[in-house]
Order: sequence, then structure tokens, then C-alpha cells
Amino acid sequence: MGDSASQVPRTADLPGAAGPLLRVHGLSKSFAGTKALDGVGFEVNAGEVVSVVGQNGSGKSTLVKVLAGIHTPDPGAVIEHRDIRFIHQDLGLVPGLSTIENLDIARPLGLRGFRPAKAREERQAAERMIRRFGGDFDVTEPIARITAAERTIAAIARAMSDWSPTGNVLVLDEPTAALGAAEADLLFDAVRRVAAEGAAVVFISHRLDEVLGLSDRVVALRDGKLVADVPAGEVDHDRLVALIAGSELAEFRMEHADERGRRALRARGLVTDVLRGVDLDIHEGEIVGVCGLLGSGREHLAATLFGAMDRHAGSVTVAERALKAADPAHSIRHGLAYVPADRLRQGAVMTMTAMENLTLPWLRPLRSAFGRLDRAAERGETRAWTDRVALRPPQPDRPLRLFSGGNQQKIVMAKWLRMAPAVLLLDEPTQGVDIAAKAAIHELIAEARAAGTGVLVSSTDTGEILDLCDRVLILRDGRVSAELGRHELSEARLISESLGLSTTSAPRHPLD
Amino acid sequence: MTLIDDTETLTEHPYERARPRHRLREALSFRSISAIYIFAALFLLFSLWVPSTFLDGDTWKAMLDDQAITALTAVSLVIPLSAGVFNLAIGSQVAVGSILSAWLLSQHLPIPATVTLTLVAGAAIGLATGLLIVRARIDSFIATLGVSSMLLALTTWISDGQQILDLGAAYQELATGQLFGITYPVYFLVLVALAVWYVLERTPAGRRVYATGGNLDAARLAGVRTSTTIVLSLIACGLIASAAGTLVSSRLATGDPSIGPGYLLPAFAAAFLGSTQFRGGRYNVWGTVIAVYVLATGVKGLQLAGAPVWIPDLFNGLALLLAVGMAVRRGDTGRTSAIARLLRRRRSSQEA
Repeated sequence: MGDSASQVPRTADLPGAAGPLLRVHGLSKSFAGTKALDGVGFEVNAGEVVSVVGQNGSGKSTLVKVLAGIHTPDPGAVIEHRDIRFIHQDLGLVPGLSTIENLDIARPLGLRGFRPAKAREERQAAERMIRRFGGDFDVTEPIARITAAERTIAAIARAMSDWSPTGNVLVLDEPTAALGAAEADLLFDAVRRVAAEGAAVVFISHRLDEVLGLSDRVVALRDGKLVADVPAGEVDHDRLVALIAGSELAEFRMEHADERGRRALRARGLVTDVLRGVDLDIHEGEIVGVCGLLGSGREHLAATLFGAMDRHAGSVTVAERALKAADPAHSIRHGLAYVPADRLRQGAVMTMTAMENLTLPWLRPLRSAFGRLDRAAERGETRAWTDRVALRPPQPDRPLRLFSGGNQQKIVMAKWLRMAPAVLLLDEPTQGVDIAAKAAIHELIAEARAAGTGVLVSSTDTGEILDLCDRVLILRDGRVSAELGRHELSEARLISESLGLSTTSAPRHPLD
Repeated sequence: MTLIDDTETLTEHPYERARPRHRLREALSFRSISAIYIFAALFLLFSLWVPSTFLDGDTWKAMLDDQAITALTAVSLVIPLSAGVFNLAIGSQVAVGSILSAWLLSQHLPIPATVTLTLVAGAAIGLATGLLIVRARIDSFIATLGVSSMLLALTTWISDGQQILDLGAAYQELATGQLFGITYPVYFLVLVALAVWYVLERTPAGRRVYATGGNLDAARLAGVRTSTTIVLSLIACGLIASAAGTLVSSRLATGDPSIGPGYLLPAFAAAFLGSTQFRGGRYNVWGTVIAVYVLATGVKGLQLAGAPVWIPDLFNGLALLLAVGMAVRRGDTGRTSAIARLLRRRRSSQEA
């Protein structure tokens, strides 16, 4: 087909052997007067890995969307590159199909699509492709059953299968969000191989350590502006944090008290498909953090306590009452509240308005004669809450999906705080929200704690854990492997305990 | 602080305009009440085209009566649709209601007992369908398709494939009796529509139904008893569909096993079209009732103008496609659309 022919690079078109493969100059992007990107410019050469770092809201995702052609930049911008390929965070693989079949999807079909597939040839071709990027796994397994890192390699292989990296650009957008350290290594190896074949690689990430280990150069964004473009060897972690955070960091500091309140929640011997006997107490006015790698059980703990997920064994007790397994309504009635990590699918009904979401868990006090919903009371109460959480725009009648991630999460927080829960269970409470909303949400958590609510925060953001928590539980292989008090907390300690290293300081550049 | 916030909003929805200041203008816009404008256009068209018959009061009375049962069926369908459940058995449920009441009468049961038993049967069918969906965890599409086929079998078994004739004048009076020149089913429709509207849009129960339909997981995690909600919505639907079935056999004083399934398409067309009216993409009662009568006006006008007998089917089918097409396009412009959501849900569950 003509398609595949046009994708074969023609050497004559190369913008000069030594020139950059990707050149961005004077790139701005405004949304209704606000600049999401402001005069950004950088270059990426062949064989080079350039990382783009920045907080949520710094313009990283806008940059990717402009490169991908989803957004049109403001006039005057220069973007030059030849073929450019993207690997997005969700990878875009079909989970039910094998690696072979997923690789095959990328290939353009004509009438050839009706010819019988040659099983052995396809398998060997797929194996060659994944080995090229350092993968070594069963290509006949469905994507859903291989590990996250192997999936990423399959996605890279697919992006490369009908494409020669030489002279072209590969953009990876937050590819390691779901990977553990060992898995990330596998991916980095694949990325280096792509660069070694002559491609320019742009690596978008918010994990600073891995960025320093992997890339040749680091480009940092803050508030839409480029604040650094430096060789990776010339910056260290702390300097990078200062660059991307600017003055906005450390706006919020949690006050910690040393005495404990009464026990608010008691869990014993929790067993699920992943958890293998977890004991846990949460006290009134205490924030308990939960850390652990993907697969450690961390991501299931809050859901299991709440009853969003079923448990095979174990008990959860709140105020001396045993909670039923897998019964959220029962848990809510006994003072539990749960903010799931997946806001779109579980956290809120996006098609309903902010007000309807806010009042959904507790409509009883709004009932008037004939079982009618008292609209005036509902509106009044909603107004009070949207003011308190500073909802932007302050329009409770808008469908929730039209709000930004941060404002959606404010509504999700408000709907639970409205019930004055005894225990607030938070799963990734600030995932995908900007710095301002993150600070606002942290403040809400602090207020709940001050009101005597026991809080559990499960998060992959170690900075958040360090900022918020009085006590941290480390999960490994479905068990609590360590418990750290306020005074033992440090980022290095959290990471080394999560990985199960005996040393107290984690290597900063595991790849060097 | 707020600056960054707003940027993010705009990043995600760069084309989203600010909410219009004038609620009235929004409420009267073509987007909100297109059916009313279409009705006006149809009315004008046929008033000029076939004025003598189209503008006759009797034509309108007959149409009100004609479509009451269709509207009743469509209103019953709104309840499970709002809860996110596709009830493809709706036509067969009307058929069972119609044939069961006819058969019970032919067994010399008194009318009140007949009607009560038929309604109980309708509720029981709703309950069974609901349990298939929430307990056996069969997708509502498939569960109701299966139930539909079984109900058709039941209908044929009861009636032996024959019409049950001569159900008596007293029974016929139920659907043909008049008050102020308008037949009873029209009043019954108004009562049922009022009740369903009140529960869906004015009570906490209705809020929970819409939440369940909007996002089952999120609703469950917010403490909504989603399984109970789904089962109850199907029971209510079965109850009303059975009542509609009773009116079908009463109207003709005949139990006809072939009539019920024909209500499936008009009911869905009206519910879908109705969801594009008033409530910005939510299934709702008044939109649905109006959709039934707008479709009927179009069909009636064409018939009076001498269109052939296959026009109603063509018109309903076309209207259904138009409604869905409009709703999908509207999804792009940022409005909430029940249909677009449904299509997305199907697509993603096929991928999973």
C-alpha cells in the first residue's frame, strides 16, 4: 500500500546529517488568554534522549498534544520534524489479543487482510521485534497477562514495526507511571536501543530520578515556560526540583501532633487475591500513609477496607461494629468514605452535575414532603461546599465532566467531607491534578484530620506521603513489611523499604 | 492558584463556551426543544397540505387515543433506560400483558382479578429479568433479548397462536370509554407519566436511578444500592408494560398475540428522541411523551396526504437514526448524552 511506502525514510530528506531531528522554536499555546505554553524552544538530535519534566499543569501535556497535532499552536511557532511517533501512557494495546496480534494491527491492510495469516512467520517476526528492544517473553500470551514493562516493550515494538527509527522522532508520554523500578530498567534499555538506532527520543516524565539516569539532556517546564535545558550530567535531583517547582512548592505544611486519638478503624487479617493478611489501625485525627510498588497490594488496600473490593478473609471494624465485606452502602452508613484512584470510572458520575454528585451519598437530609427532594436546601448546601472547596468555575449545575481534574476531585472530596466521615480512605487523592488543586486537596485533608477524622492515604507520590502522613505503612507482597513513624520518614527510606532493600539510603541513579 | 486551575479547564475543553446567562434562551433553544419546533413545522406543513382533514378535531382526538398505549410503553421504557438497562423485551412484555389478560377473561375471571393478575405477572417478569442482570450478571442487552424470545414463546403457548375473541363490552369499556370526549387511556397515560416524572426527577430515588445509569461503579461506591435500583426499575417497567398490554386487548376486545412486539421500535425511538429534549441528554418522561406525538403527527399527516401504508415504519426508523445521530454529534459539543454514553459503554465492554 502507498501508506507503508511513504513511511520509509528517504535519506535525501534528512535535514542535514548533523542537524537536529526535532526542532521546536517559539512555541506558544493560549487557551482563552491564558498561556499554557509560552515561547518554548528546544532541539533533539539523532541518538539523543531528551527528557521533558515539569509538574502537572506546567504545560507538559499541552506540549505533547501540540506535537501530536491535537492542539494547533499559536501563530509564529516553528515545529520541524519528519515522522514522529507517540507512545502514550495507556499504550493503546488491545488487552485480549496477543503481542503478535497487537503488532499486526499496526500494519496497513489492503485486500491482503483476507489472506490467511502465516502463524509461524508472524510469531518469529514478533519475537524478532521484541528482542530488538530487549524483550524476552511469550508473544502468544494475551497482552492482559504479561507484565506492565513487557506491555510497554510491545507498544514500542508496535510503534517501530513498520518504521525505521533512523532520522525520526519517538515521543514517550509518561510510560513508567505503572512500572516498578526493575520494570522501568527494562523499558529504559529499550529506549536506549531506539536512540542507538539513530532516532531522537523525547521522554516525558514526572519522575526526576529516572529521568536523570536515562537521558542525555533535560528540558524543564514551569507554568508553560522553559526554565532549563541542560545536560543531565550537570544537574542533580535537588536542583531539578527547585527548577520545576519554583516558588510554589512548600506552600502547604502539615502540622503534626504526636499524641494519638482513639482507634477509628481496626482491620485484622485482610486477605484478597493480592493482600495476604494485613493488620491495620487508623486513629482519630491521624493520617496513615500506605506505600508500595505496583502489585504489593497498596492499590487494593483502601478499596478492600471500604468494601469496593471483596475480601476472602479478615475483619474491618469501625466504632466496635464489624463491617460487611463488599458492601459500600453499609460501610458509608458506618462512617467510611472512599476516594478511588480512578476518578472517571469510579470516583464520580461524570455525566451528572457537580451538585448531583455532591449530594448523592447522603440525600436523606434533603428530603421533604411526599419524598420530594428539597431543591432549595440542596442548592444552599451545595453553594456552601463549592465555596469552601473553591470550585472553579463556581457553577454547580455544570456536568462534572466539564470541570478540570483538580476541580472534579474537589467535588469528590467535598461529597465525602459533607458526611463528616469517621474514616476517610484516599487512593491517589491528587493524581492528575495541578499544583494548586493539590494544595487545596491537602488542605481539605488537614481540615478533616483536625475535625477528628482518621485518614488513610495510599499514594505513589512519595512527596505527598512525606508531606501528609503521621505514620506510613509499607506494603510488599501483600503484607505490611514495615511501619515508619513520623520521625523516621524520608524519601530514600520509603523507596528502599518498598523495594525491600536492607540499606537505608536508596541509590539515586540506579542506572549509572 | 485559580489561574492554573482555569488553564486546566480550558486545556481539556478548549471549545467549551461559558454558560449562557439567559436560562430562558437556553431552554427555548432548538437544541433543548427541537421536537417542539419540528412539531410546529409538521403542523404548518400539513395544515397547508391537507387542511380539511388534518385540522379536524376528531383527527386529533383519535391520534391522542391511538398513541396513548405507545406513549405508555415508551414511558415505561424510560425507567430502566435511565438506570442504564436496555430492555429489549419491552414489546414482548406488552404482548404477554395483552394475551394473558385476554386468556384470564376467557377463563371467566372477573375483570378486577384479571387486571391484578396481569399486573402481577408483569412485575414478576421485570423481577426475573432484573435478577438475570444483577445476579447472573448477564449484560442487559443479552438478558432482555433472551427473555423477549421466551415471552414470545409464552404468548404463543397461552394463545395457541390464535386470537382470543369476544372479551365483552364491559372489558372493552376500559380502553374505549370516554370522559369529556377523550378516552380513558389518555388520562391513564397522563397519570402514569406524572408519577414516573415525579419519582425520576423530584425524589432521591430518581437521583439514584440516574446515578446508576450514569456510572454503575461510581454510584455503587457512593452508597447507591445499584442492584436493587436496577431490579426495581425493571419491575416498574414490567408493571406499566403489562397495563399497556391490558389496554391493547381491551381496546379491540380481542387478545391478539401478534400485536405487542410492534411496540418495541416506536417505544425506543420515542425514548431516544425524548432523551435529546429538555434535559440535555437525559432520558426523561415529557420528552418521550412529546416525541411519541410528534412522530405520530408526522405519520398521520403523511397518511392523510395519501402516503402508502409502509410510511409509519419508515418514519419511525428514520426518526430513531436521526435522534441517535444528533445525540452522538452533540457528544462532541460537550453536552451530556445518554445515547452517546450507551454507545461508548458498549464499545468499551466489547474491548474488555
